[in-house]
Amino acid sequence: MKKLELGNILIHDVQFSNEGSKVENGVLYVNKEEICKIALEDENIASCEVFLARPGESVRITPVKDVIEPRVKVEGKGGIFPGWIAKVDTVGEGRTHVLKGAAVVTTGKIVGFQEGIIDMSGPGADYTPFSKTYNVVVKMEPVEGLKQHEHEYALRIAGFKIACFLGELGRNVTPDEVKTYEFDNIVESAAKYPNLPRVAYVQMLQSQGLLHDTYVYGVDAKKTLTTIITPTEVMDGAIVSGNCVSSCDKNPTYVHMNNPVVTDLFEQHGKTLNFVGMIITNENVYLADKERSSNWSAKLAKYLGCDGVIISQEGFGNPDTDLIMNTKKIEAEGIKTVIITDEYAGRDGKSQSLADADPSADAVVTGGNANQVIVLPPMETVYGHLEFVDTIAGGSANNIDAHGNITVEIQAITGATNETGFNYLSAR
Amino acid sequence: MKFVIVTNNPRVRDELGKEFEVDFADITYREVLCKVRDMIYGGHKLLTHPLSGSVKPNETPYKSILVDKRWGKMDPQDASIIENSIITADKFSVKFPEMPDSVREDFQLIDTTLIKSALMSIPEIF
Amino acid sequence: MSKIRVVQYINQFFAQIGGEEKADIPAELREGPVGPGLALNQAWGDEAEVVATIICGDSYFNENLEKAQAEVLEMVKSQNPDMFIAGPAFNAGRYGVACGTIAKAVQDNLNIPVLTGMYEENPGADMFKKDVYIVATKNSAAGMRDAIKKMAPLALKLARHEAIGASCEEGYMPNGVRVNLFEKERGSARAVKMLIAKLNGKPFTTEFPMPTFDRVAPNPAVKDMAHATVALCTSGGIVPLGNPDHIESSSASHYGEYDITGVMDLDAAHWATAHGGYDPVYANEDADRVLPVDILREMEKEGRIGKLHNKFYTTVGNGTAVASSKAFAAEYAQKLKADGVDCVIMTST
Repeated sequence: MKKLELGNILIHDVQFSNEGSKVENGVLYVNKEEICKIALEDENIASCEVFLARPGESVRITPVKDVIEPRVKVEGKGGIFPGWIAKVDTVGEGRTHVLKGAAVVTTGKIVGFQEGIIDMSGPGADYTPFSKTYNVVVKMEPVEGLKQHEHEYALRIAGFKIACFLGELGRNVTPDEVKTYEFDNIVESAAKYPNLPRVAYVQMLQSQGLLHDTYVYGVDAKKTLTTIITPTEVMDGAIVSGNCVSSCDKNPTYVHMNNPVVTDLFEQHGKTLNFVGMIITNENVYLADKERSSNWSAKLAKYLGCDGVIISQEGFGNPDTDLIMNTKKIEAEGIKTVIITDEYAGRDGKSQSLADADPSADAVVTGGNANQVIVLPPMETVYGHLEFVDTIAGGSANNIDAHGNITVEIQAITGATNETGFNYLSAR
Repeated sequence: MKFVIVTNNPRVRDELGKEFEVDFADITYREVLCKVRDMIYGGHKLLTHPLSGSVKPNETPYKSILVDKRWGKMDPQDASIIENSIITADKFSVKFPEMPDSVREDFQLIDTTLIKSALMSIPEIF
Repeated sequence: MSKIRVVQYINQFFAQIGGEEKADIPAELREGPVGPGLALNQAWGDEAEVVATIICGDSYFNENLEKAQAEVLEMVKSQNPDMFIAGPAFNAGRYGVACGTIAKAVQDNLNIPVLTGMYEENPGADMFKKDVYIVATKNSAAGMRDAIKKMAPLALKLARHEAIGASCEEGYMPNGVRVNLFEKERGSARAVKMLIAKLNGKPFTTEFPMPTFDRVAPNPAVKDMAHATVALCTSGGIVPLGNPDHIESSSASHYGEYDITGVMDLDAAHWATAHGGYDPVYANEDADRVLPVDILREMEKEGRIGKLHNKFYTTVGNGTAVASSKAFAAEYAQKLKADGVDCVIMTST
């Protein structure tokens, strides 16, 4: 049996400190210089600024590169973000401390159509899960002439390092609550729960190219075959995001670490179902890859003896085809599916929602229509670069009026229609 | 494998044109999709997803698609994918009228990396 | 603010005039609420009231469709209302169709917000749920209280031109327009619940019904082809050269009927395709490639089929709405039947 304890240190405020960064009585104290020093270790980063954003403040963060939760491995093999910050030891066992309620939000312009808005208050705040976290916003600018590949890499790694630095502050803090996730091997679990339906989680990972990539233990997901991972591994950062396009339905690293399908299946594990494992598969551009990867999803689901699976998607358009292939093939094995997706039904809600469809996908959870238009009132403070708002997805030219109101589609809002079911939005 | 990259992206033409067969034309995103659709109805096999990338069809002006050069029987799944892609592209009605050159170049770059990721999947090449 | 003025349409039964034997009474306008209108007024309190009720027999409405519709429209107009309600019709089929028809007519012609209600299996539901808001009711008048509970607040919102929430919040039948809402549980929790229901064979409701494709069960084989009358039909757009009926190259609004008496072969001098969704070169060179008149003439000569029907029906399938296609075929299928056709070969492209 595998066991991972998540010790949640509940963070209810974040403050700057001139002394060393620390966690005390649920307050995260952040020393700007310490953060900047970590960012500037990378010679490709020319400058770094740190801001704090709390729920309810009149603050807008944009464009959001990634959101990361500070965690630290206290007991057990390996460390957080294996393949990047830690070595590639298999993680997911022992004890991990979490600064629950805090998040690192990285921002910076990699390309001219960078996207992702987090409003900490106002109507936009309802649509993003990250208006409820105490955010340490890190804005980094690259050295002149840095190529987009290297720029994305620099921001990604800096985010992980800073999250680990902050997570480390919780190493010796007594957690407010400890959640235990136990995971049996398939022989043990079959013996323990002979009468419960066997359920796996099939997670589709964005894997199409620059700004569209996901990594598993440091490996680019588009170069992987569909495989099995134990669900506790993701809680230690085994899967990370290099994806910063389509902010409403991409999975920031924070979502991978807190994968809600994993948590909610664990919740039912041993009660109404037997959670037997997690299958990760990719969403490549090349059609033969899609065929192979979905064949393998179905094969592994059958191999695990599944009665049912939940399939989650990431992104728009191309992945609809992977989603339908996975669903059709898994259903064809006699395994029942529920899929989580989101919709692009047009601003009027009248267009065809998905780019692919099949009658076997008869149980769908939707994250909502990403084309819904929203007016975001001006915020007192903007961290990042507001000038991109008119070139991002769901924006349009001249979409800022004289009063500073921005008219965008909710696809511009980070996490609005998340396809792992991280958010509460839906549509009918 | 004999294939052609159908594109309206000058960067793909310049960067990949020497090594691979590139069918470049200065046409719209939608016209690239339609050109590929006609090839598929003519019996060519679609090799990459026409909606590659999460950048929305009304955001980026650029699109590159890999198509098998060989002729065969029309593949109904390919036809369905390309038709659905055109329908999907059409529903993003609000277009960006202008963009600075720097943004244009970024879109060219992203499209190039997407098609390169597909090229890496063709076993005979790498 | 003055009360919202509502006109309600009900049938003879709900006006307590009588059942089927009174179904032929013509439309009549009465002041104030009648029957279900009383319950609506009670639910609305000071906010709205049924100022007039139109009562019409179900047979009268359905058998004198255009006349009845014009009469009812005139009556609605005379009251200058802010809102129009038809029904609820529950499971009464002709009443449901009448409610849908008149609600749509009021909405389209008078530009007044409308609402109706009926049981989801009422034929009027499928016919009109995409055109007008229809509240899903129980299958009998015993569900009146429940129907009023849903219809009264939705009618107020419609009359005030407020934003209408998602179908599951407001109680109307899904109408194909996707509307966002915030759920109480996050998506993953809803997915787990849905999967548990699905695994246990319990009912569950998908949040996004996949677009449905009609599957038509094939008829039994024709036993005696040698004496059968065979008709040709196509969605491939084959028309006389010049497209005399102007069938659109996409999203066709109608179909064509053409006589091929004595035509042995669709030659390029007389026939072509109107279809805009495929390369027309080969069809225009020889339209038999889409509508094989030449081969069927040969078969006719050889005695393999009885005869080729002397008319064919054609439209353009390119982007044409499924509902339109259905309507075209429903109409010309009757003509084919009347002409004694035994079987039809439908060609696509």
